[in-house]
Amino acid sequence: MTDRSDPALIRQVLDGNPDAYGALVARYRERYARFAVHMLGEREDAEEALQDAFLRAYRSLAQCADPARFDAWLFRILANRCRTAGARRARRSRTFVRDEIALGEASAEHPAERREWREEIHRALGRLEADQREAFLLKHVEDLSYEEMSALTGAGISALKMRVKRACERLRVMLGEVQHA
Amino acid sequence: MHDDDQNDELIGRVADELRIPVALDPGFDARVMAAVRRATPGRWRRALRWWTEPRPLRVSPLTGLACAAGVAALLVVGAVSLRPSLPSPIKGAVAVGAAVPAEPGSEMVQFVLVAPQASSVAVVGDFNDWDPSRTPLRAEAAGGVWSANVSLRSGQHQYAFVVDGKEWRPDPAAPRAVTDDFGSPNSVIVVGGKST
Repeated sequence: MTDRSDPALIRQVLDGNPDAYGALVARYRERYARFAVHMLGEREDAEEALQDAFLRAYRSLAQCADPARFDAWLFRILANRCRTAGARRARRSRTFVRDEIALGEASAEHPAERREWREEIHRALGRLEADQREAFLLKHVEDLSYEEMSALTGAGISALKMRVKRACERLRVMLGEVQHA
Repeated sequence: MHDDDQNDELIGRVADELRIPVALDPGFDARVMAAVRRATPGRWRRALRWWTEPRPLRVSPLTGLACAAGVAALLVVGAVSLRPSLPSPIKGAVAVGAAVPAEPGSEMVQFVLVAPQASSVAVVGDFNDWDPSRTPLRAEAAGGVWSANVSLRSGQHQYAFVVDGKEWRPDPAAPRAVTDDFGSPNSVIVVGGKST
Protein backbone atom coordinates (compact mmCIF):
# COMPACT_ATOMS: atom_id res chain seq x y z
CA MET A 1 0.00 0.00 0.00
CA THR A 2 1.37 3.41 -0.98
CA ASP A 3 2.39 5.62 1.91
CA ARG A 4 0.39 8.84 1.63
CA SER A 5 1.53 10.39 4.90
CA ASP A 6 2.82 13.95 4.87
CA PRO A 7 6.49 12.89 5.30
CA ALA A 8 6.16 10.32 2.48
CA LEU A 9 4.61 12.87 0.11
CA ILE A 10 7.25 15.43 1.02
CA ARG A 11 9.95 12.84 0.33
CA GLN A 12 8.44 12.22 -3.13
CA VAL A 13 8.37 15.94 -3.89
CA LEU A 14 11.98 16.38 -2.81
CA ASP A 15 12.94 13.38 -4.95
CA GLY A 16 11.70 15.25 -8.02
CA ASN A 17 7.98 14.46 -8.22
CA PRO A 18 6.18 17.84 -7.89
CA ASP A 19 2.79 16.20 -8.57
CA ALA A 20 2.93 14.57 -5.13
CA TYR A 21 2.48 18.07 -3.71
CA GLY A 22 -1.05 18.07 -5.11
CA ALA A 23 -2.09 15.60 -2.41
CA LEU A 24 -0.86 17.98 0.30
CA VAL A 25 -2.72 20.88 -1.32
CA ALA A 26 -5.92 18.84 -1.41
CA ARG A 27 -5.42 17.73 2.19
CA TYR A 28 -5.05 21.16 3.76
CA ARG A 29 -6.71 23.65 1.41
CA GLU A 30 -10.16 23.72 3.02
CA ARG A 31 -9.07 23.95 6.61
CA TYR A 32 -6.64 26.75 5.86
CA ALA A 33 -8.94 28.48 3.39
CA ARG A 34 -11.41 28.90 6.25
CA PHE A 35 -8.79 30.62 8.39
CA ALA A 36 -7.62 32.85 5.53
CA VAL A 37 -11.15 33.88 4.57
CA HIS A 38 -12.01 34.79 8.17
CA MET A 39 -8.74 36.68 8.57
CA LEU A 40 -8.93 38.65 5.32
CA GLY A 41 -12.67 38.88 4.83
CA GLU A 42 -12.60 38.34 1.07
CA ARG A 43 -12.42 35.02 -0.70
CA GLU A 44 -10.21 36.35 -3.49
CA ASP A 45 -7.68 37.76 -1.03
CA ALA A 46 -7.82 34.54 0.97
CA GLU A 47 -7.22 32.36 -2.08
CA GLU A 48 -4.31 34.54 -3.09
CA ALA A 49 -2.76 34.31 0.37
CA LEU A 50 -3.37 30.56 0.51
CA GLN A 51 -1.88 29.98 -2.93
CA ASP A 52 1.11 32.09 -1.95
CA ALA A 53 1.52 30.08 1.25
CA PHE A 54 1.38 26.76 -0.61
CA LEU A 55 3.92 28.01 -3.13
CA ARG A 56 6.28 29.38 -0.48
CA ALA A 57 6.05 26.11 1.41
CA TYR A 58 6.81 24.18 -1.78
CA ARG A 59 9.87 26.27 -2.55
CA SER A 60 11.17 25.86 1.00
CA LEU A 61 10.11 22.24 1.46
CA ALA A 62 13.68 21.07 1.96
CA GLN A 63 13.84 23.38 5.00
CA CYS A 64 10.80 21.83 6.66
CA ALA A 65 12.59 20.50 9.72
CA ASP A 66 9.83 18.14 10.82
CA PRO A 67 7.83 16.75 7.85
CA ALA A 68 5.44 15.06 10.29
CA ARG A 69 4.41 18.57 11.39
CA PHE A 70 4.05 19.94 7.87
CA ASP A 71 0.54 21.16 8.68
CA ALA A 72 1.74 23.40 11.52
CA TRP A 73 4.63 24.66 9.39
CA LEU A 74 2.27 25.49 6.52
CA PHE A 75 -0.15 27.15 8.93
CA ARG A 76 2.63 29.38 10.23
CA ILE A 77 3.48 30.44 6.69
CA LEU A 78 -0.17 31.13 5.94
CA ALA A 79 -0.65 33.15 9.14
CA ASN A 80 2.31 35.30 8.15
CA ARG A 81 0.92 35.75 4.65
CA CYS A 82 -2.45 36.80 6.06
CA ARG A 83 -0.79 39.31 8.38
CA THR A 84 1.20 40.76 5.49
CA ALA A 85 -1.82 40.88 3.19
CA GLY A 86 -3.95 42.42 5.91
CA ALA A 87 -1.42 45.10 6.70
CA ARG A 88 -0.75 45.89 3.06
CA ARG A 89 -4.19 46.96 2.12
CA ALA A 90 -6.70 49.09 3.92
CA ARG A 91 -9.46 46.89 5.08
CA ARG A 92 -12.48 47.19 2.86
CA SER A 93 -15.70 48.57 4.29
CA ARG A 94 -17.54 45.34 3.56
CA THR A 95 -15.50 42.89 5.57
CA PHE A 96 -17.83 39.95 5.53
CA VAL A 97 -17.38 37.14 3.06
CA ARG A 98 -18.76 37.90 -0.36
CA ASP A 99 -18.56 34.32 -1.35
CA GLU A 100 -21.56 33.55 -3.51
CA ILE A 101 -20.87 29.85 -3.40
CA ALA A 102 -20.58 29.66 0.36
CA LEU A 103 -23.49 31.98 0.96
CA GLY A 104 -25.53 30.11 -1.60
CA GLU A 105 -24.91 26.87 0.22
CA ALA A 106 -25.68 28.54 3.52
CA SER A 107 -28.94 29.95 2.26
CA ALA A 108 -29.98 26.59 0.89
CA GLU A 109 -29.31 24.85 4.18
CA HIS A 110 -30.38 27.54 6.62
CA PRO A 111 -33.23 29.95 6.90
CA ALA A 112 -32.79 33.62 6.09
CA GLU A 113 -32.20 34.55 9.75
CA ARG A 114 -29.31 32.20 9.88
CA ARG A 115 -27.80 33.82 6.81
CA GLU A 116 -28.15 37.28 8.31
CA TRP A 117 -26.64 36.04 11.56
CA ARG A 118 -23.66 34.69 9.63
CA GLU A 119 -23.14 37.98 7.83
CA GLU A 120 -23.24 39.83 11.16
CA ILE A 121 -20.60 37.52 12.56
CA HIS A 122 -18.27 38.22 9.67
CA ARG A 123 -18.94 41.92 9.90
CA ALA A 124 -18.10 41.92 13.61
CA LEU A 125 -15.04 39.79 13.02
CA GLY A 126 -13.80 42.30 10.47
CA ARG A 127 -14.07 45.08 13.03
CA LEU A 128 -11.67 43.40 15.43
CA GLU A 129 -7.99 44.32 15.53
CA ALA A 130 -6.06 41.91 13.32
CA ASP A 131 -4.12 40.35 16.20
CA GLN A 132 -7.34 39.89 18.22
CA ARG A 133 -9.09 38.33 15.23
CA GLU A 134 -6.17 36.00 14.64
CA ALA A 135 -6.04 34.94 18.31
CA PHE A 136 -9.81 34.37 18.43
CA LEU A 137 -9.83 32.23 15.27
CA LEU A 138 -6.87 30.15 16.38
CA LYS A 139 -8.36 29.54 19.81
CA HIS A 140 -12.07 29.08 19.14
CA VAL A 141 -12.27 27.99 15.51
CA GLU A 142 -9.02 26.10 14.93
CA ASP A 143 -9.03 24.77 18.52
CA LEU A 144 -5.32 25.33 19.11
CA SER A 145 -3.86 25.36 22.61
CA TYR A 146 -2.21 28.55 23.80
CA GLU A 147 1.16 26.78 23.52
CA GLU A 148 0.46 25.96 19.87
CA MET A 149 -0.74 29.49 19.24
CA SER A 150 2.42 30.87 20.78
CA ALA A 151 4.60 28.65 18.60
CA LEU A 152 2.63 29.70 15.52
CA THR A 153 2.42 33.44 16.11
CA GLY A 154 5.56 34.07 18.13
CA ALA A 155 3.51 35.95 20.73
CA GLY A 156 3.62 35.15 24.45
CA ILE A 157 0.87 33.07 26.04
CA SER A 158 -0.33 35.82 28.36
CA ALA A 159 -0.53 38.28 25.45
CA LEU A 160 -2.53 35.74 23.45
CA LYS A 161 -4.94 35.16 26.33
CA MET A 162 -5.47 38.88 26.57
CA ARG A 163 -6.16 39.14 22.84
CA VAL A 164 -8.71 36.32 22.98
CA LYS A 165 -10.40 37.89 26.00
CA ARG A 166 -10.64 41.29 24.30
CA ALA A 167 -11.90 39.72 21.09
CA CYS A 168 -14.63 37.85 22.97
CA GLU A 169 -15.68 40.98 24.83
CA ARG A 170 -15.98 43.00 21.65
CA LEU A 171 -17.84 40.24 19.81
CA ARG A 172 -20.27 39.93 22.70
CA VAL A 173 -20.97 43.64 22.56
CA MET A 174 -21.33 43.84 18.79
CA LEU A 175 -23.36 40.66 18.33
CA GLY A 176 -25.37 41.15 21.52
CA GLU A 177 -26.61 44.42 20.08
CA VAL A 178 -27.67 42.61 16.92
CA GLN A 179 -29.50 39.90 18.86
CA HIS A 180 -31.39 42.45 20.94
CA ALA A 181 -32.13 44.73 18.02
CA MET B 1 -8.44 24.92 31.04
CA HIS B 2 -11.84 26.54 31.59
CA ASP B 3 -11.71 30.17 30.58
CA ASP B 4 -14.76 32.28 31.05
CA ASP B 5 -15.02 32.83 27.33
CA GLN B 6 -15.08 29.08 26.62
CA ASN B 7 -18.34 28.78 28.54
CA ASP B 8 -19.84 31.67 26.76
CA GLU B 9 -22.85 30.46 24.79
CA LEU B 10 -22.70 33.35 22.32
CA ILE B 11 -19.03 32.77 21.58
CA GLY B 12 -19.79 29.08 21.09
CA ARG B 13 -22.43 29.87 18.51
CA VAL B 14 -20.03 32.25 16.72
CA ALA B 15 -17.31 29.59 16.65
CA ASP B 16 -19.75 26.97 15.32
CA GLU B 17 -20.73 29.27 12.51
CA LEU B 18 -17.12 30.03 11.63
CA ARG B 19 -16.20 26.34 11.54
CA ILE B 20 -18.42 25.75 8.52
CA PRO B 21 -16.09 24.97 5.60
CA VAL B 22 -15.49 27.71 3.08
CA ALA B 23 -15.83 26.79 -0.57
CA LEU B 24 -12.86 27.56 -2.75
CA ASP B 25 -12.83 28.35 -6.42
CA PRO B 26 -12.99 25.00 -8.28
CA GLY B 27 -9.82 25.89 -10.15
CA PHE B 28 -7.81 26.57 -7.02
CA ASP B 29 -5.89 23.28 -7.00
CA ALA B 30 -5.06 23.57 -10.69
CA ARG B 31 -3.76 27.12 -10.20
CA VAL B 32 -1.58 26.13 -7.26
CA MET B 33 -0.16 23.13 -9.07
CA ALA B 34 0.50 25.16 -12.22
CA ALA B 35 2.47 27.63 -10.08
CA VAL B 36 4.26 24.72 -8.41
CA ARG B 37 5.29 23.26 -11.77
CA ARG B 38 6.50 26.67 -12.94
CA ALA B 39 8.61 26.88 -9.79
CA THR B 40 10.04 23.41 -10.36
CA PRO B 41 13.45 23.49 -12.03
CA GLY B 42 14.04 21.16 -14.97
CA ARG B 43 16.08 17.97 -14.71
CA TRP B 44 19.36 19.58 -15.77
CA ARG B 45 18.88 22.53 -13.46
CA ARG B 46 18.13 20.15 -10.59
CA ALA B 47 21.25 18.19 -11.41
CA LEU B 48 23.32 21.37 -11.50
CA ARG B 49 21.79 22.49 -8.22
CA TRP B 50 22.58 19.12 -6.67
CA TRP B 51 26.25 19.66 -7.46
CA THR B 52 26.51 23.38 -6.68
CA GLU B 53 24.33 23.93 -3.63
CA PRO B 54 25.87 23.34 -0.21
CA ARG B 55 24.13 20.66 1.79
CA PRO B 56 24.61 19.27 5.27
CA LEU B 57 26.21 15.86 5.44
CA ARG B 58 25.63 13.54 8.36
CA VAL B 59 28.71 11.43 8.91
CA SER B 60 29.50 9.34 11.94
CA PRO B 61 32.91 9.98 13.58
CA LEU B 62 34.07 6.50 12.54
CA THR B 63 33.12 7.08 8.90
CA GLY B 64 34.82 10.49 8.97
CA LEU B 65 37.98 8.93 10.36
CA ALA B 66 37.95 6.23 7.66
CA CYS B 67 37.47 8.87 4.93
CA ALA B 68 40.35 10.97 6.30
CA ALA B 69 42.62 7.91 6.39
CA GLY B 70 41.64 7.05 2.81
CA VAL B 71 42.41 10.56 1.58
CA ALA B 72 45.78 10.52 3.38
CA ALA B 73 46.64 7.16 1.82
CA LEU B 74 45.73 8.43 -1.64
CA LEU B 75 47.94 11.50 -1.13
CA VAL B 76 50.92 9.35 -0.11
CA VAL B 77 50.46 6.95 -3.05
CA GLY B 78 50.01 9.87 -5.44
CA ALA B 79 53.13 11.65 -4.22
CA VAL B 80 55.24 8.50 -4.52
CA SER B 81 53.95 7.57 -7.98
CA LEU B 82 54.27 11.08 -9.36
CA ARG B 83 57.84 11.68 -8.24
CA PRO B 84 59.64 9.64 -10.97
CA SER B 85 57.54 11.21 -13.70
CA LEU B 86 58.50 14.78 -12.92
CA PRO B 87 59.97 16.30 -16.04
CA SER B 88 63.72 16.69 -15.98
CA PRO B 89 65.01 20.18 -16.65
CA ILE B 90 65.77 20.86 -20.28
CA LYS B 91 69.45 20.89 -20.93
CA GLY B 92 70.98 22.65 -23.86
CA ALA B 93 73.25 19.89 -25.10
CA VAL B 94 73.35 16.40 -23.71
CA ALA B 95 74.92 13.15 -24.78
CA VAL B 96 72.14 10.72 -25.62
CA GLY B 97 74.52 7.75 -25.47
CA ALA B 98 73.96 4.37 -27.03
CA ALA B 99 70.31 4.97 -27.67
CA VAL B 100 71.22 6.78 -30.86
CA PRO B 101 73.94 5.29 -33.11
CA ALA B 102 77.00 7.44 -33.73
CA GLU B 103 80.26 7.06 -35.65
CA PRO B 104 83.13 5.24 -33.94
CA GLY B 105 85.01 7.60 -31.62
CA SER B 106 82.03 9.90 -31.61
CA GLU B 107 78.98 10.35 -29.46
CA MET B 108 75.53 11.47 -30.33
CA VAL B 109 74.70 14.78 -28.63
CA GLN B 110 71.29 16.36 -28.46
CA PHE B 111 71.16 20.13 -28.67
CA VAL B 112 68.06 21.71 -27.21
CA LEU B 113 66.90 25.33 -27.04
CA VAL B 114 63.64 26.68 -25.74
CA ALA B 115 62.63 29.56 -28.02
CA PRO B 116 58.83 29.90 -28.30
CA GLN B 117 58.99 33.01 -30.50
CA ALA B 118 61.56 31.67 -32.96
CA SER B 119 60.72 30.64 -36.52
CA SER B 120 64.03 28.86 -37.09
CA VAL B 121 66.92 27.70 -34.92
CA ALA B 122 70.27 26.22 -35.89
CA VAL B 123 73.30 25.14 -33.96
CA VAL B 124 76.73 26.28 -35.10
CA GLY B 125 80.11 25.23 -33.74
CA ASP B 126 83.56 24.10 -34.48
CA PHE B 127 82.04 20.78 -35.56
CA ASN B 128 80.20 22.32 -38.57
CA ASP B 129 82.47 25.24 -39.43
CA TRP B 130 80.04 27.66 -37.74
CA ASP B 131 77.71 27.32 -40.68
CA PRO B 132 74.04 28.08 -39.74
CA SER B 133 72.72 26.18 -42.74
CA ARG B 134 74.25 22.81 -41.84
CA THR B 135 72.56 21.83 -38.55
CA PRO B 136 69.03 23.16 -38.18
CA LEU B 137 67.03 22.30 -35.05
CA ARG B 138 63.57 20.81 -35.34
CA ALA B 139 60.65 22.27 -33.47
CA GLU B 140 58.92 19.89 -31.04
CA ALA B 141 55.15 19.57 -31.15
CA ALA B 142 54.54 22.20 -28.49
CA GLY B 143 56.21 24.46 -25.98
CA GLY B 144 58.68 26.18 -28.32
CA VAL B 145 61.31 23.49 -27.82
CA TRP B 146 63.81 23.04 -30.64
CA SER B 147 66.22 20.12 -30.85
CA ALA B 148 68.74 18.31 -33.07
CA ASN B 149 70.95 15.25 -32.66
CA VAL B 150 74.55 15.71 -33.80
CA SER B 151 77.38 13.16 -33.85
CA LEU B 152 80.41 14.79 -32.21
CA ARG B 153 83.91 13.44 -31.86
CA SER B 154 85.22 13.04 -28.36
CA GLY B 155 86.70 16.17 -26.95
CA GLN B 156 85.70 19.73 -26.14
CA HIS B 157 83.60 21.70 -28.56
CA GLN B 158 82.42 25.30 -28.69
CA TYR B 159 79.01 26.08 -30.09
CA ALA B 160 76.11 28.54 -30.12
CA PHE B 161 72.55 28.73 -31.38
CA VAL B 162 71.46 30.97 -34.26
CA VAL B 163 67.87 32.10 -33.95
CA ASP B 164 65.91 33.26 -37.01
CA GLY B 165 69.14 33.23 -39.05
CA LYS B 166 70.70 36.24 -37.36
CA GLU B 167 70.66 36.19 -33.57
CA TRP B 168 73.48 34.25 -31.94
CA ARG B 169 72.75 32.94 -28.50
CA PRO B 170 74.87 30.98 -26.11
CA ASP B 171 73.35 27.85 -24.62
CA PRO B 172 71.71 29.03 -21.38
CA ALA B 173 72.18 25.55 -19.89
CA ALA B 174 75.87 25.10 -20.68
CA PRO B 175 79.15 26.67 -19.49
CA ARG B 176 80.52 29.58 -21.52
CA ALA B 177 83.75 29.49 -23.50
CA VAL B 178 86.65 31.49 -22.12
CA THR B 179 87.39 32.90 -25.55
CA ASP B 180 84.92 34.49 -27.86
CA ASP B 181 86.10 34.24 -31.42
CA PHE B 182 83.10 35.91 -33.06
CA GLY B 183 82.31 38.80 -30.79
CA SER B 184 79.52 36.93 -28.99
CA PRO B 185 79.77 34.39 -26.20
CA ASN B 186 79.86 30.70 -27.07
CA SER B 187 79.10 27.62 -25.02
CA VAL B 188 81.23 24.61 -24.32
CA ILE B 189 80.48 20.89 -24.36
CA VAL B 190 82.87 18.07 -23.54
CA VAL B 191 82.15 14.77 -25.30
CA GLY B 192 83.54 11.48 -24.01
CA GLY B 193 85.35 13.06 -21.10
CA LYS B 194 88.32 14.25 -23.25
CA SER B 195 89.18 17.79 -24.23
CA THR B 196 90.33 18.48 -27.79
